[in-house]
Amino acid sequence: MKRRTFLKSMAATGVAASMTGAMIPKEAAARKKLDIGEIKGLKIDVLTETSWFNNDVFKKNIMDYGGANTNQYTIPWQWDNAGGYAVLITVTTLEGNERKFMMDFGWNNDWMDYIYEEKSEVASLIEKDAIEFWVLSHWHLDHYWGVESTLKRKQDLTLYAPKTYYPEDMALLKDKAHHTAKNKETGQMDHICKNDYPHKGKLVLCDPKGENKEGIYRVMPGVAIRNFDVPILLRVRGENVLYFNVKDKGIVTVTGCCHPGILSLFSYARKNFKDYKPYGCYGGLHISLFETWDPKFDDIIKGVKSFKIQKLGCNHCTGWIWAEKAAESGVPVVKGTDKYKSYKKYSTVAKTSNVFLTNGDTVTF
Amino acid sequence: MTEEGEHLKFNYFFGLVNLVVVFLIVWFLWYVFMNPNTVMKLYTPMYGFALVVVFVSSIILMSKVLDVSILYHRAVESENPVTKGIILTIIAFGLMLILNYIVFWGFLGKLGIAYFSPGSIVAAGGTGAEPLMARENASIAILYYFTAFLWIALFWSVGLGRWPWQNSGYGIQVWSRFFVIIFFVNIVYVILFHPHVCYLFYPAQDKAGVAAWWEFSGTTSAFFGLGLALCSLFWIIASDLLWEGYPWKNMEKDGEGTFLKGVVAFFATLVLGIITVYILTRIMNVFWDEAFMGGQYTDGPDFRYIHTGEICGFFILAIFILKHYFNNFPNLASIWARTVIRTVIAIAGGLLIYLFYYSPATTFFLAKVPGVAQPDDKPLVWALLFLSIILVQSEFFDGWPLKRK
Repeated sequence: MKRRTFLKSMAATGVAASMTGAMIPKEAAARKKLDIGEIKGLKIDVLTETSWFNNDVFKKNIMDYGGANTNQYTIPWQWDNAGGYAVLITVTTLEGNERKFMMDFGWNNDWMDYIYEEKSEVASLIEKDAIEFWVLSHWHLDHYWGVESTLKRKQDLTLYAPKTYYPEDMALLKDKAHHTAKNKETGQMDHICKNDYPHKGKLVLCDPKGENKEGIYRVMPGVAIRNFDVPILLRVRGENVLYFNVKDKGIVTVTGCCHPGILSLFSYARKNFKDYKPYGCYGGLHISLFETWDPKFDDIIKGVKSFKIQKLGCNHCTGWIWAEKAAESGVPVVKGTDKYKSYKKYSTVAKTSNVFLTNGDTVTF
Repeated sequence: MTEEGEHLKFNYFFGLVNLVVVFLIVWFLWYVFMNPNTVMKLYTPMYGFALVVVFVSSIILMSKVLDVSILYHRAVESENPVTKGIILTIIAFGLMLILNYIVFWGFLGKLGIAYFSPGSIVAAGGTGAEPLMARENASIAILYYFTAFLWIALFWSVGLGRWPWQNSGYGIQVWSRFFVIIFFVNIVYVILFHPHVCYLFYPAQDKAGVAAWWEFSGTTSAFFGLGLALCSLFWIIASDLLWEGYPWKNMEKDGEGTFLKGVVAFFATLVLGIITVYILTRIMNVFWDEAFMGGQYTDGPDFRYIHTGEICGFFILAIFILKHYFNNFPNLASIWARTVIRTVIAIAGGLLIYLFYYSPATTFFLAKVPGVAQPDDKPLVWALLFLSIILVQSEFFDGWPLKRK
C-alpha cells in the first residue's frame, strides 16, 4: 500500500477513535473542474463486440483452470470460441472535420483480419493512415491479444495503454512473443496468442494522475482518456475510458468493458468536468456478463435512471438480460439491428430484442 | 500456581514464534487450496469462501455447541493434546465435507431447495444455469447460511452458555442447544440472506423470496446483512475473549447464563454492530466519497457493507492472535484498564492486518491483484482460513505446543 494511503488509514483510525461525528469532515472541498473542450458529434462503428461466441465454453475454460482470479495467460483458451472487441470512433470537430481513431484490438487474429478486411473499411483506413491513434481499454485477452492483426498493418501506431501491464502483456506488444498455456488434459502447451510485429510507435502509458496531474489525457479538444486503476478478474488491472463532450448535449463515455462501473464513470465526470451534463454511453458495461443475475444489477438499473443518462448503447459484457431489463424499466437503451447475422459467426446468446449494438451497427451522439 | 503466576510465566517470544508458524501454515494451505495459479484453485472466489466458512463452522459446532472435548475425553483415555488435536481436526475436516457436499449439495439441495445444489441449478436449466455460476451461487447460499450459524452459535456461547439446560445431562444440553441454534439460524438466514439468493437467478424467484426489504440501505444486495452480522460478531467475540465475558457476566446466576443475560447480550452486540457499520461507512466516505446506488467497486454500497464485515474480520483475527499468542496482554489488575487496552490493541492489530492484506506483499503470498474492491477478491477467505488454524490449535490441540501442563 502506498505511504499516502497508509497515512490516510492512520488518520481514519484517529477519527474513529474520537467517536465524534464533528471530527469527520463533511463534503470534500470543491475540486477545480476541468474544461476538456467540445466536439460537434461522435459516431461509433461497432467493428466487433463478440469477444467470444459461446458463454458456456468461455466460462468452462475459466472454471477448469481456477476461476476468476486465475492468470489469463495460464488458460489454454478454446481457440474456435475466440472473437474480439474493437471499435472505430469518428469525431466531428467543432470546425466540421472528421477525425478517426480506434479502441482495442480484439482477440483472435483471424477474426480480426476478417473484420478489418471483409466487414469494415478499417484495413483500407489503416493503409491510408486515416486512423490517428489507438486506445487500449485494458489488457484483457479479448481486447488485446488480436494486436498482431493491427500491428502487421501499422507497426508505428500511437497507442494509449494502461500503465498497469504485466510482463506477458508487454512481451506481446514489443518482443514478438508467442505465448502458450498448458492443457491439463493433453499435457501439451497450447498456443494462446502471438505477435510477430513489434510495436514501434509512440506508447503512452496511462495512469490515474494523467497528463500534468490533471487526471486525464487530452487526445483532442473535447476528447479525454481517464485511467481507472482498478483490479480486474483474470489477473488484470486498470482500464482506460474515453470521455467525449458533445456540444449542447453533454458527456458521452466509450468503454471496452467498463470495469470501474458506468455510474462511477459519470460520477467522476460530474465531480471533475466543467459544465457537466450526462448524455450517453457506449460499450461493454460489465454487468450480467454471463447472463446471470445479482441483486446489485437491479441497483445499477435504478442508478442509471437517477443519473439521467439519455442514450445508453451497450453490448459485449453488459449482458443481454440486463440490457433487456433496463430497457423494460425505461432506461433509454439504443437498439441494434440484425446485421450481426450476416457475419460468419455470432453469439449464441444474441436475442431478438436487439438491445445490444452488435457487429456492424452504428450509433451517433 | 496462581493466575498471576501463569501470566508471568507466559513466554511472549514463543507466542510470536507460534504466530509465525501459523502464518506459514496458512500460507502453505492457501498455496495448496486457494491460490488461483497453483494447485487446487478453489478461490473462485465463492466456492473457496464457502468451504472455509463451513470449516470454521465445523470447528465452532464441535467446540462450542457440541462440546466435543467432553465426549473425546470420555472416549479416549489419553491426555495427549497432539493425538486429540489430530483426531478432532480430521473430524472437523470430514464434517466440513459432509456438511457442504452431502447435507447441502446432496440432500437439502437435491430434495428441497434447489439453489443449495449446483447440480439442481444446472438441471433446472434456463439463463445462466451452467456449472461455474451454479457452483458459485450454491456456495453463496451456503456461506450465508453458515455466517448466520456462526453469529447465533457464538452469541449463544457468550450470552447463554448452557442455559436453560444447565441442570440436564451432557446429551440433552448439547443436542437441545444444537437444535435451538439451528432454529434461530434458519430465521436469520431466511430474513437476511434468502431474498438475495432468490435474486441470483433470472428471472428472479420472487414467489420464493421477497424483494430485498433493506433497500433503504442503498443496495438490494445481502452484503448489507453480511456486514451487519460480522460487525455484531466482532463485539460478541471481543466481549468473550477480551472483556472476559463482561458486562454480560454480571447478569449470570450461579455462574450460569440467564434469559436476561442472553437477551441483553444479543441486542447490545447487535446495536454495537449497527453503530460499527455506521462509523466504518462514514470513514469510507472520507476516503472514497459517498457511495451511490448502482455504484461499483468502492462506489458501491454493497461493497461498503461487506467491507465493514471484512474490516471486522481482521479485527476478529487480531483478537484471536492477542488472546492465544500474546496471552491477552495486558493482564492488569483493573478489569477496565485491561479490557480497554486489549480492545485498542485488537483494533490496531486489525488495522495492521488490513494494511498487510492491501499491501504489495499479498501479491507474493496470495497471488492477489493489487487494489481494493475487486468483485472477485474476498479478504474474509484468507482471514477465516487463518482463524481456522488458530481455532484448531486452541480448541483441538488445547493450545499445544504453546500451552503445556
